[in-house]
Amino acid sequence: MLAETRMQKAAKRYKTRMYLKRYWMLYAMLLIPLVYFIIFKYVPMTYIQVAFKKFSITKSAWEMEWAKNSGLEYFIKAFSNRDFLYAVRNTLMLNALGLVFGFPAPILLAIVLNELPYRRFKRITQTVAYMPHFLSWIIISGLALQLLATRFGLVNIVLRNMGLEPIQFLDKPANWVWTYVFLGVWQSVGWNTIIYLAALTGINPELYEAAAVDGASRLRKIWHITLPGLRSTIVILLILSLGQIIGSEFDRPYALTNTLVTSVSNVLSIFVYNYGIKGTQQSLATAVGFFQSVIGVIFLVNANLIARRFDERGLW
Amino acid sequence: MKKLLALLLSTLLVVSVMAPIAMAADDGFVDGKFTDTRTITVEIFDRNTEGSVVDDNVFTDYIKENMLNEYNVEVVFQTTPRWTEGDDIANYLAAGTASDISYTYNDGAIHTYFQQDAVLDLQPLLDEYKDYLTDLYDFLGSNMTWKTDPYTGQTECIVARRMNVARINTFVRKDWLDKLGLAVPTTTQEFEDMLYAFRDNAELLLGDEADKMIPYSMTDDVGWRANNILYSFVPDEYTTDKYNFIYNDDRQFLLPGVKEGVRMLNKWYNDGLILQDFSLYAAGDATEYNLLKAGYVGAVEVNWDDVYRNAEESVHYMLQQSQGEDAVFIAVDPFKNDAGITKKVNYSSNDRWIFFPSTNTEPLASLLYLNWMAKFENRFFLQTGVEGINHEYTEDGTLKAIPPEAGRYKMSSSNNIDTTMIINGLDLGDVDKTAASMALGYAYVAPEFIKTAFAAALNNGVSYGNINLGAIAAEEGIKTVLADKRDVVLNVSINASVEDFDAVWDSGMADYMASGGQAILDERMAKYEAAFGE
Repeated sequence: MLAETRMQKAAKRYKTRMYLKRYWMLYAMLLIPLVYFIIFKYVPMTYIQVAFKKFSITKSAWEMEWAKNSGLEYFIKAFSNRDFLYAVRNTLMLNALGLVFGFPAPILLAIVLNELPYRRFKRITQTVAYMPHFLSWIIISGLALQLLATRFGLVNIVLRNMGLEPIQFLDKPANWVWTYVFLGVWQSVGWNTIIYLAALTGINPELYEAAAVDGASRLRKIWHITLPGLRSTIVILLILSLGQIIGSEFDRPYALTNTLVTSVSNVLSIFVYNYGIKGTQQSLATAVGFFQSVIGVIFLVNANLIARRFDERGLW
Repeated sequence: MKKLLALLLSTLLVVSVMAPIAMAADDGFVDGKFTDTRTITVEIFDRNTEGSVVDDNVFTDYIKENMLNEYNVEVVFQTTPRWTEGDDIANYLAAGTASDISYTYNDGAIHTYFQQDAVLDLQPLLDEYKDYLTDLYDFLGSNMTWKTDPYTGQTECIVARRMNVARINTFVRKDWLDKLGLAVPTTTQEFEDMLYAFRDNAELLLGDEADKMIPYSMTDDVGWRANNILYSFVPDEYTTDKYNFIYNDDRQFLLPGVKEGVRMLNKWYNDGLILQDFSLYAAGDATEYNLLKAGYVGAVEVNWDDVYRNAEESVHYMLQQSQGEDAVFIAVDPFKNDAGITKKVNYSSNDRWIFFPSTNTEPLASLLYLNWMAKFENRFFLQTGVEGINHEYTEDGTLKAIPPEAGRYKMSSSNNIDTTMIINGLDLGDVDKTAASMALGYAYVAPEFIKTAFAAALNNGVSYGNINLGAIAAEEGIKTVLADKRDVVLNVSINASVEDFDAVWDSGMADYMASGGQAILDERMAKYEAAFGE
């Protein structure tokens, strides 16, 4: 018995050695991204503790003193701050609206492009549609001001010359929200189409041919073949977007805002910038960032669970 | 063995900690000069001025040469981009690479870093070396102790001196007044009537472009762009240092009476006297500024010489190009307070905040540098340059700047403001001489315009003194947030309808006060009363 297991163990050790001898290069290559992630992602992550400590510029995160209330001082400070609560509300509102309008838009565009028989027109449209993706929000906000300002914006000059009332796109909070959402869709729709178009090329053309033989109309084909073909892509992208529901970009709201609409435009990233960076409350900023990450992970995991329950593959 | 090692290590630690202090003592300083060459690094703002190198020109050479000859101190300049200096200072301090002599406009940052031991307490050094620093004390005067904490006696920084305290002026279109047969406004009522006259006579003043008429223009920085108007609503008794200390705000927004001023602006706005989209244009927005240059604007409040600055790019020059020779802005001074005085806020005598980071191992050499800079002949040379190259004298003996286009004699900033860190603004040693020289310093602008503007800006000006009762704890980390909230209150209130004005203002103020404004006010009030009584 004993001799046998010993022999088995030796055989196993031999096998492992042979395996490593054969494949060590693959593991060595894996080391490069691993080291990258350790150095640039995991080591900086140790600075999350700044959220629980009293920040000092001269000390490392390990040496800083713990914050009051067993380290939770800055979380209490954030949650008892009305601006923070408004920022949470605004972030959720703008992201939810962005999701409702921004998420289906590229799917629709991809399907429409896919149905176009004239290929050159399709290509040109696609290129034109994804160009705005390369514009920074600073440039877009400049364009928005030149086009949409009430007195000297081009759109309103045209409206006025047509005898219509000008629209205050940027200086009424309600209007501003729609301008913000619309500009977001406009900027990203073309770019997000690319991934759907790639998925569409993966659908077996025989399916369409068979449906045509059966007499299916164009809409029926879209409903029964195209959309099911895109389903897993849609689900994965939806899970990823839900993971960012409380995350917020900085440059977009920062560039588009003005003093009249701060009641809806102050999102978490702006809060972090105003209180944390400009107000040099680094611990508070880190605490808010940490909070955002935790909520993001919760949404991501739950969305993934739900997707798997509905028989989709999910992210993992 | 272990014990021995521990002893050895701790001795090493003590020695290494002591080393800088030992070096700082002046045993190498004999008869006003170091026996061995010391090296200090000095910060200098870089504005990317075309045609000059900020840390390598005739003037930096002059400093280096003289410091080496007089004190045996070698000076190494370190540049910091002017427009990001507030953030860069933090990075330098964190990395331990801040210049031995550093300066910034961000005094809040110095206080934060001082508390984190990244900035030296200057007081012990000043006390020890005071005898070598007579020129510095003479020139800066009370600015030396501007930031000395009265309770702890610590000095975080010393404060550069601002020579020219002119701040904000009201400008109106002279040619429009003439066309409408109006006199220069001398009261708030006349100014308002003038704006209505501009609005109602747009056809006459602008012809085809009548729909572009803007009687009064501003940006979202209302507190600045209507400062003289709003300050005239502050009762005269509240224009003292005391109330500036208690209701502290760099736009004087918290002072009693300001609300009524904003109410007037609200009425103006709803009557179409103010640029409709002003809130969409952030301070410094080129679009708003171009409206001035294009000739659509009747009146503005801006920096005291703003419309005359920048030669070919100036409002003055561009306006004349587009609307003809007569189209000019002139400074007026109509806004009187309840005592009938056109009081307005001038700058105080403080400018940049100069500090030594805790990595500075040559405090004496650094202080000597500042003292050298404070000597008149050195300042004078650095501000005016070489006769025949940087300046010349007119027949009546007024110094006239003639800036070189490029080369080693070109100053990288006007009057070398970035090189001469302890002074902001020309100083020829005589106030009248300086003013006359300044009036000659604007290309394409007749000196009379400058003289009028300078006189108007200083007329009944209030230059607040410094009341230093230590750091205000309630302000920490919240001051910038409150400044943003202030701008929101002002903008939203002016944009409200006349009926809603009170409700909008009051809710905005309630938010401002609840977000920390009240706590600051209370602390300042209490500190003031504790120090001076009721």
